[in-house]
Amino acid sequence: MSAIFASIGIFLLAILGVPLFVIMSLAAMTAFSFTDVELSAVAVEIYRISSAPTLLTIPLFTLAGYLMAESGSPKRLLRLADAALGWLPGGVAIVSLVICAFFTAFTGASGVTIIALGGLLFPILKNEGYSEDFSLGLITTSGSLGLLFAPSLPIILYGIVAKVDIDQLFLAGLLPGIFLIVVLSLWSIKNGTARTVTRSFDFKELVAAFKGSFFEALLPVGVLTGIYGGFVTPTEASAMTAFYVLIIECFIYKDLHLFKDVPKVTLDAMSLVGGILLILCCALGLTNYLVDEEIPMQILDLMRQYLDNKWAFLFFLNIFLLIVGSMMDIFSAIIVVVPLITPIAAEFDVNPIHLAIIFLTNLEIGYITPPVGINLFISSFRFKKPVTELYRATFPYLILLVFALAVITYVPALSLWLVER
Amino acid sequence: MGLFRLVDKAIEKGSSFLLVICVALMLSLSVAAIVMRWFDTSFLWIEPFVRHLVFLSTFLGGVIATGRGTHIAIDIINKKIDMSGPDWAKRLSNRILNLASGLALFWLVRASWQFMNIELEYGHEVFWGIHSGFLVGIIPFGLSLIAYRFMYRFLESFSKASAA
Repeated sequence: MSAIFASIGIFLLAILGVPLFVIMSLAAMTAFSFTDVELSAVAVEIYRISSAPTLLTIPLFTLAGYLMAESGSPKRLLRLADAALGWLPGGVAIVSLVICAFFTAFTGASGVTIIALGGLLFPILKNEGYSEDFSLGLITTSGSLGLLFAPSLPIILYGIVAKVDIDQLFLAGLLPGIFLIVVLSLWSIKNGTARTVTRSFDFKELVAAFKGSFFEALLPVGVLTGIYGGFVTPTEASAMTAFYVLIIECFIYKDLHLFKDVPKVTLDAMSLVGGILLILCCALGLTNYLVDEEIPMQILDLMRQYLDNKWAFLFFLNIFLLIVGSMMDIFSAIIVVVPLITPIAAEFDVNPIHLAIIFLTNLEIGYITPPVGINLFISSFRFKKPVTELYRATFPYLILLVFALAVITYVPALSLWLVER
Repeated sequence: MGLFRLVDKAIEKGSSFLLVICVALMLSLSVAAIVMRWFDTSFLWIEPFVRHLVFLSTFLGGVIATGRGTHIAIDIINKKIDMSGPDWAKRLSNRILNLASGLALFWLVRASWQFMNIELEYGHEVFWGIHSGFLVGIIPFGLSLIAYRFMYRFLESFSKASAA
């Protein structure tokens, strides 16, 4: 009886807004206090995180992303993308998708993309003749679009929690990530041809824009070549990326001052990283308790009564994850849900890499799913629009992304082809 | 409240300073390790040292996030109250949130203190002759700072209310 009261109490505190890492540790300690296990077991699990070799990638890639977002990098890269793609029908919208995907890959869909780029892109889209709803919907959706691309923070976190190779996940996310951009680009082209005037391709401007953003444009290529060329591990790539970005933004472009700006940006980045890693630390105790009590297997037994094949399981999983994505942010969802679903998915013979991509795509969609998709609130705050207006503006994108999710789910080759080659 | 506020500010400033130092060290040492590898040189202490810098930064980042109120949470009710609830409901929910967080963290500090004592007795040296028990001490240290900040926010809400 007291266990039920404790569970209800913790649940109420969670929905009231008590930080998730507190909820995790409270739940773990309460659960352990009903057993013979010493409470110090929770602290043992917290300390276990310090032995994860890939842990360093999280603060350093995030720092690199934050440094770029705070510098003149968004403007330079926007100019380059505009010169390369802006002449297409719907070109400016495609530029917005590509540039947001780039920044999300580096900032981990933490809302920085919408905050850093929203103000730049929104007036450009409006000037091109796109409706307010289309522009708001596009920017809000794009805020999580690059989540499947290396070196995004959710991919790294998923790899750590599910114990899947991070470099394989980076590779697996590439085609599905491009597919999502293509689907949204086609939608933009449809709107673009109907509503905007196209302009001609200017090669000189492309060269000038490329020269202007040379050091930043090379970054994704450098990271991927470094990792897949076998020159560096993902951890080393994160150190080189952060160092490289620091040097170019402080000493080449001189957008940031080493002593005035960098400490402030570091604190911004690390307050996010601290929040995420604390949840990760504190969740380890709880998830270990759940695994010890064989909770995933009990869920599996229950599911087996209703689901008898892999495809039905994946359909159910998508519905479940869309609900999770609309209620929780991606980092909490990865830490809480992944340890529960990976053993179940393995029983249904779902490839762990494919599962990762399905999981992350669902949560990417969760960012714009009402009622509490976080991008809806960030855009509402950024553009000073009621959140209900954002619900309406993002609805077509939500439908398109759900369609893309179905393709990613039921065509495993899209995620696995590059990995198995 | 003056002394509590002073301590809270000192925690904020100290943690911010230490956090920037930690990040600068983890970045420069990681890059140095890569460069040294090109010359077939390495220092074995760099890797565990950097991992523990990340571990310490986790708690210091948490201290900053507590001050800014930016911890990740499933705040379904709080969001609704913040958007359209009356002032008293906002105050009450924030008080419950801060008090519950502070008390739960003090409970966790106690558990991690026990673990630190066990580790001091049975642990081993990790690098530079530093005993693992002291490294485990990062947990009660970091959590105490975060817990203090939550409790300070709880107490501060009463002084704000009486001032208003």
